Amino acid sequence: MFQGLQFEPVKLPQSSVALRAEVRAFVEGELAADYLRNSDFNAGESVEFSQRLGQRGWIGMTWPKQYGGAERSFLDRYVVTEELLAAGAPVGAHWIADRQSGGQLLKFGTEAQRLEYLPRIVRGECYFSIGMSEPDTGSDLASVRTSAVKVDGGWLLNGSKIWSSGAHMNHYMIALVRTEAQSTNRHAGLSQFIVDLHDPNVTVKGILNLAGDSDFNHVFFDDVFVPDASVIGTPGNGWEQVVSELGYERSGPERFLSAFRVLVEFIREVGDNPNPAQLALIGRLLANLVTLRRMSISVAGMLEAGKTPITEAALIKDLGNTYERLVPELIRVLAPAKTSRRFQNTLHQCILHAPSFTLRSGTREILRGVIARGLGLR
Amino acid sequence: MNEQQLITDTIRRILQDQCAKVTVDAAEAGVWPAGLWQTLEDNGLTLAGISEASGGTGGELAASLLMIREAASVGAPLPLAETFIAARLCELVGAQMPVGPVTVSGSRFTLTQEGAGYRLQGHAENVAFANLCSTLIVVSSDAAGSYLCLVPLAEISQQVTQTMAGEPQSDFAINCLLPASAVFASAEDLSNQLWCLGAATRSVMMAGAMTSILEQSVQYAMERQQFGRPIAQFQAIQQQLAILAGEVAACQRAAESLNEALAPLNEFDIAIAKARISEAVGSATDIAHQVHGAMGYTMEHGLNLRTRRLWCWRDEYGNEDYWQQSIGRYVVAQGADNTWKTITDAG
Repeated sequence: MFQGLQFEPVKLPQSSVALRAEVRAFVEGELAADYLRNSDFNAGESVEFSQRLGQRGWIGMTWPKQYGGAERSFLDRYVVTEELLAAGAPVGAHWIADRQSGGQLLKFGTEAQRLEYLPRIVRGECYFSIGMSEPDTGSDLASVRTSAVKVDGGWLLNGSKIWSSGAHMNHYMIALVRTEAQSTNRHAGLSQFIVDLHDPNVTVKGILNLAGDSDFNHVFFDDVFVPDASVIGTPGNGWEQVVSELGYERSGPERFLSAFRVLVEFIREVGDNPNPAQLALIGRLLANLVTLRRMSISVAGMLEAGKTPITEAALIKDLGNTYERLVPELIRVLAPAKTSRRFQNTLHQCILHAPSFTLRSGTREILRGVIARGLGLR
Repeated sequence: MNEQQLITDTIRRILQDQCAKVTVDAAEAGVWPAGLWQTLEDNGLTLAGISEASGGTGGELAASLLMIREAASVGAPLPLAETFIAARLCELVGAQMPVGPVTVSGSRFTLTQEGAGYRLQGHAENVAFANLCSTLIVVSSDAAGSYLCLVPLAEISQQVTQTMAGEPQSDFAINCLLPASAVFASAEDLSNQLWCLGAATRSVMMAGAMTSILEQSVQYAMERQQFGRPIAQFQAIQQQLAILAGEVAACQRAAESLNEALAPLNEFDIAIAKARISEAVGSATDIAHQVHGAMGYTMEHGLNLRTRRLWCWRDEYGNEDYWQQSIGRYVVAQGADNTWKTITDAG
């Protein structure tokens, strides 16, 4: 019988209680009192912070010990990531490598690749960028034109990738490229390469976003030689690999916590004397957030059980992004007449970055298409 | 097959056999579906999770919530939630739950000793299904504590009206003498128990009906042809149904938390569920009706059995604004920097 999409309740393990307290204390010790906390995972990066996290064993923590991991569960990892985001810690440097690039190497990479990259990621010393979009390829990912031709001992890469967050600071990119001419099967003939961003034939050009930050980039490849050893998985299997990657990318707490610090600062502003509309708004945002978090933990449980919850992840991202877009909009009109500089800065940073929430890692239209497929509509 | 699946299958089979749309329509016209109630009672489903000592059939409280949710998903016109709440209140004070459908009221009453018994006086409003029940459970609380009274309804003259969903509700005055054996004092805040159990059961009822309107809408979109193809093939429709699926999934998850929120009461989880689910009803019913077109606006189409009930249930036992404010007060009292702790403590 039809039940829609199910999110079975999952309880965080007892082990996570102590872990949570440990992470919470660590972060409080790290952040200066005047640090403007921002729970958008893309909002700040600190190499020192990432390395100290690595020393604690909180990067790549689900990975096997032979690659430096801690062999902890996805649920333990969930606790660490949500604590870092909720506190507004600068997680940007290692985020992509920890969340998806490392997992991708673990799942599809060669043993040599795992041994080369994973221990460095775990130490918080090696950062990755995503190489999916191109100037003419956004939502229609299968239309990528960056291509590689086979040469002796490797591939020669030409083209460009765009919107690659952190490519100006990161070490590598996992790029989806066309390695065979496009056929009637648009999804065939794509491959994933590890590209060294410090290669002299790679040019990284920053793009200013509307908030004035230079976070994302346009990355050009001009006859970049990629050795065979840097091909992930099987040449031609890139589409299946990239789709699998999205399950990890879409369901986490970063999909609904981006505006969380705005809520915290709003509660601070209303203080002891909230009016009924402010109380109701706080309650509404909490009711949504608690429920989203429980759904997201369900998906962490599915990942732990070895499932690939693509549709569920898309649903959480759509619901979560819609929520985090709404938070600053609703708080803005109910804020007290006089507010602190800290509140204003937190709110304004969120408003300026909010358009990216429903674009990055799949637009809301694409996500709703994925959900519709899960419902059997297409 | 686990026990929960077995219960679910039993409930669905009974509802499929005995709660077709014609039964719900007949109830709206005043025909009480006695056979359906009797079957559910005979199967021990009306008092699941209530201890045998209190007249129930034992087991988990979750089984009752499951029954209430499944019945709501087909618009079953029965006071299953009221009977469950009544039984739970009886269990709390050690009273024996009467047989048959029972309804509840938490309006303000006064109870005064009179001879060997008590006089109960007050006015009750919007008491669900009171015209079809032989017993009313009244609870009232004041600074001194709470009491529960078992009130026979036969002698009380009721003014019966219908909710937006066409379900009966009554207003009436009570001024009756009760024997001491029908009055139970309790240290528990029974009024709060009634209010929270009401909000919890309305929440699972809404989750059930929401799942059902998603199912109906998906099915309709795949069958209805326009411009030479099923409307499900249009992106405009797909996107709307995806939004509906998101709201429904959130409601289901919020309702799931209630399985462990009733004994003892977890007021925070109940508030989260009632606020979140009531909030979703407006946009969810809007999408379901838009997808169904004019067909869904007719009395003949089964969609209205769910949507009209949803429009009632979101307001009963506190609408979203009420529960949002209650959550807001709690969160503000913890202080801004404890907000995250409040969320993680909720699990």
